[in-house]
Amino acid sequence: MTYMTKGPEPELWYRDLISCLQATFGSLVAREGADPLAVLGAGWRFLHLPGDVRSEEFYYPCEDDDLGAALAPHHGLHAQWWQPEDEDDPWREMRAKLAEDRLVIAAVDNFHLPFRPAYGDVHAAHLVVVYGLDEVRGLVYVSDAMPPAFRGAVPIEAFLRSWGSANPTDVQDAFFSDSRIGRRCLDVRLDAPVPDLTPEVLAGYLSTDVEIFNRTGLAGFDAFAGELVDRCEAGDAGALRELYPFGWGMQAQASLHGELLRRCGREWGDPALAGAGRAVESVAHAWTGLRITGAHGLGDAQAAAADIARHATVLRGKYAEAVDTLSRGLR
Amino acid sequence: MSVLLEPVDIAGHRNNTGISAATETKAGAFNVWGNSFAAEYLPEGDSLVHVAGVPFRFPPVCEGPDNIRCAGQFVRVPEGRYDWVHVLAAAERRCEDLVEMNYGDGSVDQEPLRVSDFWAAPAWFGEVKAFETPVMHYPHHVQQRVPAVMWAQRVPVTRRADLAGLRLPRNVAVHVFAMTLQRTEAGA
Repeated sequence: MTYMTKGPEPELWYRDLISCLQATFGSLVAREGADPLAVLGAGWRFLHLPGDVRSEEFYYPCEDDDLGAALAPHHGLHAQWWQPEDEDDPWREMRAKLAEDRLVIAAVDNFHLPFRPAYGDVHAAHLVVVYGLDEVRGLVYVSDAMPPAFRGAVPIEAFLRSWGSANPTDVQDAFFSDSRIGRRCLDVRLDAPVPDLTPEVLAGYLSTDVEIFNRTGLAGFDAFAGELVDRCEAGDAGALRELYPFGWGMQAQASLHGELLRRCGREWGDPALAGAGRAVESVAHAWTGLRITGAHGLGDAQAAAADIARHATVLRGKYAEAVDTLSRGLR
Repeated sequence: MSVLLEPVDIAGHRNNTGISAATETKAGAFNVWGNSFAAEYLPEGDSLVHVAGVPFRFPPVCEGPDNIRCAGQFVRVPEGRYDWVHVLAAAERRCEDLVEMNYGDGSVDQEPLRVSDFWAAPAWFGEVKAFETPVMHYPHHVQQRVPAVMWAQRVPVTRRADLAGLRLPRNVAVHVFAMTLQRTEAGA
């Protein structure tokens, strides 16, 4: 039997600073008829949970295990991880969700997917959107907006290897390997209608986020940066191994939020809002210096410590400047 | 070549190999994953290329280091009045940092250097796309449909004083392949 979602294939939604996490959620949000940037870019937070970071491209910190709420705190977006209950029939839940016309986000190991650049070469945890299953012809239909974008059929055996991979440690990718895939999937729901984005609605979002930044976010960054530098000075490469996937989530969210504010500023004739958006984008750009310095410094964390400290200081300044700019705009 | 536009010799600062041949992709490592630009789609090494009217001395290709991975290098320039520093550059993810302009009178100004990602990305900072390879080199293969982009960007020289040199940012995400100075027009 064949199970396919109805209507057009999933939209390939992509921005250069996002990961497969935002890309897959963007596809699902778009299918609900909402604008992915307006939903995924509406909120902006900083949250670091020590000891929680996993070596996966799609790692994102969330306090209550609701990945959807973490990515889109101002919308009724919710997401929970699930795994097949019956090892003898791993497709049972997937069939049911596709039959309900629902897309499924699946974790995979790039090593086993023919369309990924890492195919047969590098183990790395990744997310794709599953929109069809044809057990007669042995095909799984997947959508992946990350370059090189792909949308189409994959042999079911290849998908099963990828979906069930142990994703073993791979020296070619220290940041996204060594994390069992375990046939994980995400159940994503947009429970509430997405309201029209008006200046008043956006002001409400910004007010909440600025308050959280001032209450816990900036202090959270200071704690994160302090621990990062301390661990580097002590020669703990694990700190840099965690920095890359952790920072990706924070960088992606800042880039989407900044882009949304700039877009709204232009559309509403509000240059101050556009400027605030640019200030938030500067946070995203400063994350590049920190993450890439960490990535190249992995072999000698102690030697990288001074540059890590400098980039963390720059990034802290960008956060403070952006939060201050948003605060002034709200007065 | 216009007398107002002078390529700068940055040979002594090159410390990274970001371009490789299809037969030896492992020789390049622009980023931490060992990806690199495909030489066959780029200009010849040491050639003079023009991008949006600006001449650049393209680096040697497949003969060792071809770009500066920015780590605070100080690039001396023929002391004089300039309006722009043009660069051929690319970044490991979208990035912005500061260049320190050092003037003959001892003054120093910071100016922004903004460079978009080399990896299948748009010109986020309004750069000119100088060169694009339709494939990306991986250590063990040539990847179709993932382009690598080299950008033509410029940094303003705002002070009306003689520029003596510039200090690149201490930011390994930013790579500079070539640099050209644009002199201030007489009377400006």
